[in-house]
Amino acid sequence: MTDHYNQTPRRNAEFIKPPNLLKAKVGSGGLSEEILDKAQQFLENNTVDFLPLAEMYLDGVTKGIELAKDAGPADDAEYTIATMLYPAMQLKANGGMFHYPLVTDIADRLIQFLEVIEAPDIEAVEIVLAFHTTIRAVVHGRITGDGGKHGKELLAALNDACIRYFEKHPSTPLEMGEEG
Amino acid sequence: MAYEFQNISILVVEDNQPMLTLAKGLLQSFGVGTVFTAKDGEEGFRIFCRENPDMVIADWMMKPMDGISLTRRIRNDPSSPNQFVPVILMTGFSERRRVIQARDSGVTEFLVKPFNARDLYRRIAQIIERPRQFVRSEDFFGPDRRRKPKTEYTGPERRANREEGGEERRGAAKATKPFVPPSAAPLPPDIRSTDSGKTEE
Repeated sequence: MTDHYNQTPRRNAEFIKPPNLLKAKVGSGGLSEEILDKAQQFLENNTVDFLPLAEMYLDGVTKGIELAKDAGPADDAEYTIATMLYPAMQLKANGGMFHYPLVTDIADRLIQFLEVIEAPDIEAVEIVLAFHTTIRAVVHGRITGDGGKHGKELLAALNDACIRYFEKHPSTPLEMGEEG
Repeated sequence: MAYEFQNISILVVEDNQPMLTLAKGLLQSFGVGTVFTAKDGEEGFRIFCRENPDMVIADWMMKPMDGISLTRRIRNDPSSPNQFVPVILMTGFSERRRVIQARDSGVTEFLVKPFNARDLYRRIAQIIERPRQFVRSEDFFGPDRRRKPKTEYTGPERRANREEGGEERRGAAKATKPFVPPSAAPLPPDIRSTDSGKTEE
């Protein structure tokens, strides 16, 4: 099969190769393991208190939950989901940066859930609330690290709740060309 | 020899102050000479225009202007001092459609949070060693969104590094891990400069 059915391309893209000024400035050779280890240590030794940040993002999730509870059929479901999704993303992003990888893992499961639900119905909101309560307990309990066996159990319980939800509400197949 | 990061400046745009401090400190640990900071896309663009840094690292979700809008402005605004500047977008999102959205706005590299020091270093090294060519079409201006060479061949790559990195390999055999090489070897220039459709993301 030939490209463009042997016709002349009409909307050519222009390709530009800018000079690599950055390479000219920094030279070659990479960074030493020692420097990278030091940088990693700097990251791991940060003493930022994650609690106020987490509270701010958890408040964001709460607002989303309230919005979802009050939403009617005419409301934009995607907007409602986004109000819960964006603070969840912040919890995922920042938990692990500030010694709470378990918050990252839990928030990641919440994002995976919110990314695929079709509507923020009451059962979905109950699940989001369970995630919210769990993350809050982890942060207030100062459970840094992965939470060990208890952390795994919490994650598994939340995951099971999501699986049960999708067994009850199987997603509608997407139309051709619709983004998955 | 090692990278001389003291010669470069990087602008970090992040609305979360602890994260901003952390990213700045990390870059300083790498030896970056000047790190500019901004709290949102608006301020970031002002500083970008004033200081013309060598690289921009921006968070995605910020108000009033997010990292995607900032990138579009850097690429397309007539007052932008360098439309080709590499932009690394930091975000907690890792879903494919989000990555595609970022890529389509003109972002050079994508860094998923949480990240460690080596994750950030790898993105920077990638930009230095494998810079993307730029594409200007009717509806897009930004780094070429295709990178990996497409090939039908699935057998062993017996001569993959003969032209590129041969010296590096010989050097690496002698060295006792003094330096961390960039994550990938550079592509041959002829692959990256053609419009043959033979490369893809």
